[in-house]
Amino acid sequence: MTLFSIAGKNIRKNFTNYFLYFASMIFSIVIYFTFVSLKYDNSIQSASDSSPKISSAFSGAAVVLIIFVAIFIWYSNSFFTRKRKKEVGLYSLLGVRKKQIGRMLFYENFLMGVLALIVGIALGSVLSRFFVMILMKAMGYDAITNFSISLAAIVNTFIVFMIITLITSFQGYRLIYRFKLIELFHADQLREKEPKASWLIALLSLVLVGIGYWLALQNLANSKAWATLGLMVTPLVILVTVILGTYLLFNTLTVTMLKLSRRNKKRYWKGLNIIGTSQLLYRIKGNARTLTIIAVLSATTLTAVGTAYSLYYSNRSSVSLVNPNSLMFISTNSKITSQADTIIQHSKEHDVLYHTTLELLEMDADTSGLDQISQSDEQTFTLLSNRDFNRLAKQQGRGEALSLHADEAAALDPIYIKGMSPEYVGSSITLSGNGDQEKITFKDLKKYSVLNQGTVYSTIVVSDDLFAKLESKAKTMTLEAYGITHQDKAQSLTKELEGILPEKAGFSSFYRDYASGMESSGLLIFMGGFLGLVFLAATGSIIYFKQLTEANSDKARYLILYKIGVKKREIRKTVAKQVMFIFALPLIAGIAHCAVALSALSRLMQTSLVIPVVICMGIYTCIYLIYYFVTVNAYYKIVTNVK
Amino acid sequence: MKTILQAINVNKTFGTKGNIYTALQHINLSIEEGEFVGIMGPSGAGKSTLLNIFSTIDTPTSGEITIDGQNIVTMNEEKLSDFRRNKLGFIFQDYNLLDTLTVKENILLPLALSKVPAAEIEVRVNEIADMFGIRPILDKYPYHISGGQKQRAAASRAIVANPSLILADEPTGALDSKSATSLLESLSTLNESNRSTIMMVTHDAYAASYCKRVIFINDGQLFKELHKQDLTRKEFFQQILEVLSSLGGGHHDAV
Repeated sequence: MTLFSIAGKNIRKNFTNYFLYFASMIFSIVIYFTFVSLKYDNSIQSASDSSPKISSAFSGAAVVLIIFVAIFIWYSNSFFTRKRKKEVGLYSLLGVRKKQIGRMLFYENFLMGVLALIVGIALGSVLSRFFVMILMKAMGYDAITNFSISLAAIVNTFIVFMIITLITSFQGYRLIYRFKLIELFHADQLREKEPKASWLIALLSLVLVGIGYWLALQNLANSKAWATLGLMVTPLVILVTVILGTYLLFNTLTVTMLKLSRRNKKRYWKGLNIIGTSQLLYRIKGNARTLTIIAVLSATTLTAVGTAYSLYYSNRSSVSLVNPNSLMFISTNSKITSQADTIIQHSKEHDVLYHTTLELLEMDADTSGLDQISQSDEQTFTLLSNRDFNRLAKQQGRGEALSLHADEAAALDPIYIKGMSPEYVGSSITLSGNGDQEKITFKDLKKYSVLNQGTVYSTIVVSDDLFAKLESKAKTMTLEAYGITHQDKAQSLTKELEGILPEKAGFSSFYRDYASGMESSGLLIFMGGFLGLVFLAATGSIIYFKQLTEANSDKARYLILYKIGVKKREIRKTVAKQVMFIFALPLIAGIAHCAVALSALSRLMQTSLVIPVVICMGIYTCIYLIYYFVTVNAYYKIVTNVK
Repeated sequence: MKTILQAINVNKTFGTKGNIYTALQHINLSIEEGEFVGIMGPSGAGKSTLLNIFSTIDTPTSGEITIDGQNIVTMNEEKLSDFRRNKLGFIFQDYNLLDTLTVKENILLPLALSKVPAAEIEVRVNEIADMFGIRPILDKYPYHISGGQKQRAAASRAIVANPSLILADEPTGALDSKSATSLLESLSTLNESNRSTIMMVTHDAYAASYCKRVIFINDGQLFKELHKQDLTRKEFFQQILEVLSSLGGGHHDAV
């Protein structure tokens, strides 16, 4: 029997232990392979208008993935090696040299790595086509391109994972040399001592998380804390306090809470509560670091995917906020304008809902009266008459009209953020044109515009009288605005108009922004989603094999319980409770962190993220639950396998 | 007098066709309430198998076993668990205390499992701790106390729920002679004053001499039975040694 064949046999015998690890490794290889394939593939890039972006995005995602996977494999390997201390000790005792044992472990890791790599690439070749389809769908393309697997992607994946496998396998080899024979035999016999917990540190954990949350939820514009710490340092402070707080929370607060719960004799001395609570008390501290990493990863993943998904989800509403008209351009030349009008009116796919020609003014203004944050006092505005505003607002289906007199004005600010944008109402600015000055006072503020932001400057509505007065002093222009049906599918129409309208026309179309929004947010979801899944699979499998190790060392305890008359059903119940505790802690912490991060973000983005984020959290929790049930089952099987 | 344990023609075989090993053969045995019975025999005689079957964690191949009026052979898994919890108390050679629980919590475990009210648990645990003289160590963890103390804690746990039958498996096996004597005296007192029924498996003649009756097993069969009656413990010990030497096992290892 050669060392190599023993290594092979060990893998086969230990397969149940390795299964989830193996599966997550294969999964990460599949995802990496897909990312790399997309990087090399040019069929998507040809379909997209923003091609170089996609390639570099996937390169970045692949790097993030590979760093994570390397850490995951490294951790799992040293974990497995440590777990087999006793076996290594036995080999040593039998006179096998450390060099040979090390070689055997090296072969084992290496074999597994190569096996996972082969399966991963094979699966990846099949699945990447399917993943690309998902990506195309997410980015809003109907057409399925002739995506093909490139040799470059295979070679890239193979080399990268081979290096990781080699390094981590060598790490296992090295670990053997650090073991001492006597330690190897006492490895499992180390007495577990009741962990100590300090109230002070428990309190500190809550304070730290509290500070992090409080800082994150401050209003950026007027928070004193942000102002003193600075915009760069504060996020770092939030990160450190929350992560440290989470760790202490798992490390100390849980122990304190469990100890406290023991005081209530009525509950604690009832059925198996006594077992469950004491088991958890002994185990939770050793798990604190893993749980913290999982909580932080969960929070990051959920926040990233939640953000991408909410961008995707709110794409239509945010694009229509910026582009209230389906199409809009400045009339630079009557011939081109009528040519464009013919194209739009005769379009087969679209009916024209309305067409309006507007007169606008462009004027500079002194805005020192607006108390803006860090902006120059000179700004160019587009002026719209009260009459035209009311007409267009009615055509766009808004049930609002303005009635302004004399020097009254209304600001149209679709990206208004309370606290950050200027307080318009009540303040005055001075318009200047041809040496004349005209002071206007804001009477009203609308948190939308009737004009497309891509074509005009910040827009102010002025009274009809004032508009007439200013017309002679300012630069005038004529604007064409259209509302059409199926504006989100106007690809060919947009292309055609782009072809004839000059740069100066400032052509803006709902479709153009909508499509690019779909493209970038779809791409983000795809990458974020798959990265998240890899994180989830890896962290899930880490909890899984940590729990199984504990199950193996708890076997004797459950045997005692069984002998003194505890039913298997009850054992299952207490196992389910304990494992639930371990799984729920990082999930709850992760979701809480994510909720805070996203509510800070949603304030910044001015949109409600509740629905997309709840969907993300739901999916995440569901996958997590599957891991939970698999773990409970395996745990239960180990501890009840007495005969 | 009430019969606590009644075994009729119990057989136990291991293995499959062609390679059958008979561990127990035609075992007929009855234990009355208030008895202190020792089971002796050389290694491999079937002592542990018999104990496991009486403990309901193993099943006989054939035969009838009634404990406290209930037939344990026909019971299902669930009922057996309840049965073990309510009717049997166990003392093991390696104590089998849970190291994550204090001595007190270990002792009250059977009561907690049966959902006895906390106030009642408190009273009962103190009562028993006094009986075994372990009150001062109630709040200690198993790894802080000596082997003798551990075994007394385990014995306390065995009787805390007032079981019909206490099964002891080599309880002195891991103890030094002083702790062993102290434990055996405690069990003896328990048997005399509480009228607890105890069945103890041992290969130590000294431990067996504390029993009122000793049953010898050899090669899976009942071999001989000794009654203490009016003998002193020393005389009984000599009798046990004589039987053991006739068994040929040469069990002169403890005096």
